[in-house]
Amino acid sequence: MRLAIKLAIRNLIGAGLRTWLNVIVLSFSFVVIIWIKGVMAGWDHQAKKDMSDFEIGSGQYWHSGYDPYDPFSLLDNHAPVPEGFRAGVAEGSIEPELIVQGTLYPGGRLQSVIIRGIDPDQKILKIPTGKLDAATDAIPAVIGSIMAKNLKASAGDRIMLRWRDAHGTFDATDIVIEGIFSSNVPSAEAGQIYIPLERLRKMMSMPGEATLFTFSSSFSPETAPEGWVLRTRKELTSSIDEMIKMKSTGQSILYGVLLLLAMLAIFDTQVLSIFRRQKEIGTYIALGYTRHQVVGLFTVEGTMYAVLAAILSAAYGLPFLTWQARAGWSIPIDTSEFGIAMAKTLYPVYSAGLVVTTVLAVMIVTAVVSYWPSRRIAKMSPTDALRGKLQ
Amino acid sequence: MIRFLLQGLLRDKSRSLLPVIVVTAGVMLTVWLHAYINGFMGDIIDTNARFSNGHLKVMSKAYADNMDEFPNDLALLDADSMTAVLGKEFPSVSWAQRIRFGGLLDAPDKNGETKAQGPVFGIGLDLLSPGSEEIERLNLKKSLRSGSLPREHFEALISDDFAKKLRVNPGDKVTLISSAMDGSVAIYNFVASGTVSFGSEVLDRGTIIADITDVREALNMPDASGEILGFFKGGYYDDELALSDAGSFNAVHKSAGEFAPVMRSLSQQGNMDQYVKLSSVYASYIAIIFMVAMSLVLWNAGLLGGLRRYGEIGLRLAMGEEKGHVYRTMLTESVVIGLTGSVTGTIIGLFFAWLLQKYGIDMSGIMKGTSIMIPSVVRAHITTPDFYLGFIPGLISTVTGTALSGIGIYKRQTARLFKELEV
Amino acid sequence: MKRLLYLILLAAYPGPPCFPQPDPAEILKKVENNISSENRVFESTMIIHGARTSRTMTSRTYSVGDKQAFTEYLSPARDLGTKMLKLNNQLWIYSPSSDRTIEISGNMLRQSVMGSDLSYEDMMDDRKLTEIYNSRLTGTETVDNRKVYVLELTANVPDVAYYSRKIWVDAERFVPLKEELFAKSGQLLKRMTMSDVKYIDGRWFPESAIYKDILKQGGGTEFRITVIKFNQKIPDYIFSKAALKQ
Repeated sequence: MRLAIKLAIRNLIGAGLRTWLNVIVLSFSFVVIIWIKGVMAGWDHQAKKDMSDFEIGSGQYWHSGYDPYDPFSLLDNHAPVPEGFRAGVAEGSIEPELIVQGTLYPGGRLQSVIIRGIDPDQKILKIPTGKLDAATDAIPAVIGSIMAKNLKASAGDRIMLRWRDAHGTFDATDIVIEGIFSSNVPSAEAGQIYIPLERLRKMMSMPGEATLFTFSSSFSPETAPEGWVLRTRKELTSSIDEMIKMKSTGQSILYGVLLLLAMLAIFDTQVLSIFRRQKEIGTYIALGYTRHQVVGLFTVEGTMYAVLAAILSAAYGLPFLTWQARAGWSIPIDTSEFGIAMAKTLYPVYSAGLVVTTVLAVMIVTAVVSYWPSRRIAKMSPTDALRGKLQ
Repeated sequence: MIRFLLQGLLRDKSRSLLPVIVVTAGVMLTVWLHAYINGFMGDIIDTNARFSNGHLKVMSKAYADNMDEFPNDLALLDADSMTAVLGKEFPSVSWAQRIRFGGLLDAPDKNGETKAQGPVFGIGLDLLSPGSEEIERLNLKKSLRSGSLPREHFEALISDDFAKKLRVNPGDKVTLISSAMDGSVAIYNFVASGTVSFGSEVLDRGTIIADITDVREALNMPDASGEILGFFKGGYYDDELALSDAGSFNAVHKSAGEFAPVMRSLSQQGNMDQYVKLSSVYASYIAIIFMVAMSLVLWNAGLLGGLRRYGEIGLRLAMGEEKGHVYRTMLTESVVIGLTGSVTGTIIGLFFAWLLQKYGIDMSGIMKGTSIMIPSVVRAHITTPDFYLGFIPGLISTVTGTALSGIGIYKRQTARLFKELEV
Repeated sequence: MKRLLYLILLAAYPGPPCFPQPDPAEILKKVENNISSENRVFESTMIIHGARTSRTMTSRTYSVGDKQAFTEYLSPARDLGTKMLKLNNQLWIYSPSSDRTIEISGNMLRQSVMGSDLSYEDMMDDRKLTEIYNSRLTGTETVDNRKVYVLELTANVPDVAYYSRKIWVDAERFVPLKEELFAKSGQLLKRMTMSDVKYIDGRWFPESAIYKDILKQGGGTEFRITVIKFNQKIPDYIFSKAALKQ
């Protein structure tokens, strides 16, 4: 076997450009597959991270009647902070949010909004709630960039907000946009305004009440108290899983075609080398190799392309992939207002499993493709082969 | 000369068949993959176009400003004549009137009292006129979960989940309570002919789909439409074309009125702009990577072709043929092979892409339980570049490969030829 | 005898004879006496000035006290036969084209009545102003060349739609000529202007009113009473759900 590998390497290096073309194409497959899969994994990781950072933390407890798709139900679905959460709320590992509906009147138009009351000192979400600690006669508010675009508003603008408190009494006053954040999480931005929790509780006459709780990683979720439902991070991010699954399924056709291309090159090369090296094959057999051993020799030689490609991939792919993981793949357009959770820069994430399975898969496919044309050798007549006669 | 070469190629299978097969296969893959990536990246755009944005959308200016709230009181009047005008001005676009509306859906018990009620989002579109493309566009046939599509007036489709919540079965009466175009209350009865499920949480929570004439009747919108959607007859979104169409339309209808019609391309609505750009950038990245790989493969094939004929060339040189002449004939042959392969490869690739465009691969098995609105059928999308893209690797790389391997001819020494030829 | 005369004089003047400072609750009561009645039947026209067009609707309403009301729409043709019934705090609407009676509840109550600047809720609150507001007389002004008392009302119960109101009441006829509704913050939300005050069946009554939602674009809603009769005999069956379908 060692001899076979030695011979294979010598043959391949001897073939020069032809070998390198095959190896380059094959190494492309390696790098592109690992890169795209890495980007997908990175997207997955990042989208979930963004969602955690801006919307769901490490998970949430929802009031049992809370339905983010039914704004009309918000007024009926809130409750005082349950006893079990008090300590967590005090230390900041679980943050209450009160969510109600209101109407904004930007320039005489009318727009329904979801008003989210959030603690300005909270540390779980990356929403710049610190800016809500502003001294102003209006209601300080922060909004996402999507909302800012829809409202045609910028920081410092005042917009009339009308809402109805717990008793149905109308109230209206200006909000002042203290900050605009960009989160890559449309659901945290579109149609939402964030104002200080205590202010909202007072506005609504709902002292001490909350619609949902977002907890940090230091909080260990237990069974939900009566009237509340635990929503794990996994449940809340399942839409991303589906998105990624869909995209990955579609991408896998790409890998298939790329690999097919590389295999086309290897197959072609193998057919030619068997055709041209009949004399050599005859010699091997004359030297006492069994035909199967010769088939093995050629298969090893073919498979060596994959090995060389892996080495080459490592040579240029490793720096490229590492650089990508660090610098990220910046999509050359502004994606801040995308309909889907996606960052402007995607940082690919490669797992050892991803690299090993990709390398193994490509090796096996290459071995099969190299073996296929080599089977002809077994049918050759050794004497004819030795004479170099075309068969 | 060419004829002589062609005959040579035709008679010697090893000179022609395998190289042509390789080039064909490579070109086919390039063309097919490019069309596939285009289709694959366009899926979200496509879904969005079908359900809400169209490739183009004509609305009143006031409606366009508040599009998300479906302000039907600001709808376009004389919608039929407007549609006819659009059809004339943009013959390559198929126009469809739609009314989107919100309201409540109320299911009565046998005494006519409210049994259950829920908020509803509605779409009125052409379901009944023969030859309407809307059923196909919204994939209603495949989305049907029970009952049947509306066949006559007053029939409507309801989302499956919503129907279950309201305890409504096909054949039951439901009442829509909404606000008419003039603001008065609109109460209108429909018969649920069937239930549908689109695999989108937003749509499946509470949607009613009815024929636009019924919706007009219900909302008191005679000859009015909230939106007139335009779809390119090719079936695919072309941002440049859409932007230029919208631009020329708006230039003509530049009247100052608040209720004058305006046209918006898909990319000018909501946040679609970024996605449109992203998908084209991504598709071109993939295409470039792939073309480079393909070129290398065909270059290699060219080299192999040259090597395959090492003996033959030696013989030709030994017989006194000029090196330059041999080289030129080889190049000419490779042009013939490259062209043949590129043409057949493009044809076959386009054929497979067309198959994938027409029938698609149903991935619903893999995508079970998905709640986002992504079509479970993956389709290709053939664009103009698909017709010439394959020639870059197919022709250029093949010829380059041959040219490079052919240089070897000049290195061979006549003195050694006979030794090499000794078999 | 002198003492008796003094008593009569005292009864005739509501306040100290030197400077008459009326009690705001008293003013409101007098307003209520003019506006509300045991029962009445009236026909009215409602003109809704939308962003695009104006729309006119006519209707006939029967009401008994503040708790029961029945309205049937007479025009436009599309709305002919549409009926609305209010019994205490329940509201039903009947549409003849769909032959359905639907209870308006929950969030629907917050929608506007027939596209006007009034919400169903505005219509539903049947508590007397004096029951739910504390009133204060802040001065006198002149509206439409008539002397008016300006009253400020502040809610004394939590469940009111408008935390405060300002009412301009005709100082002689005790008819409101203008009313403004405010949010808790003091932001003006709606304004009503009343006019065409007529003397009918022993009471002063404004026959026209304009309602305007201040935050909303649009020209407001005009309301005009064309025929009004007080103290009519209204059969009981009118205030039943069965009457809706007739």
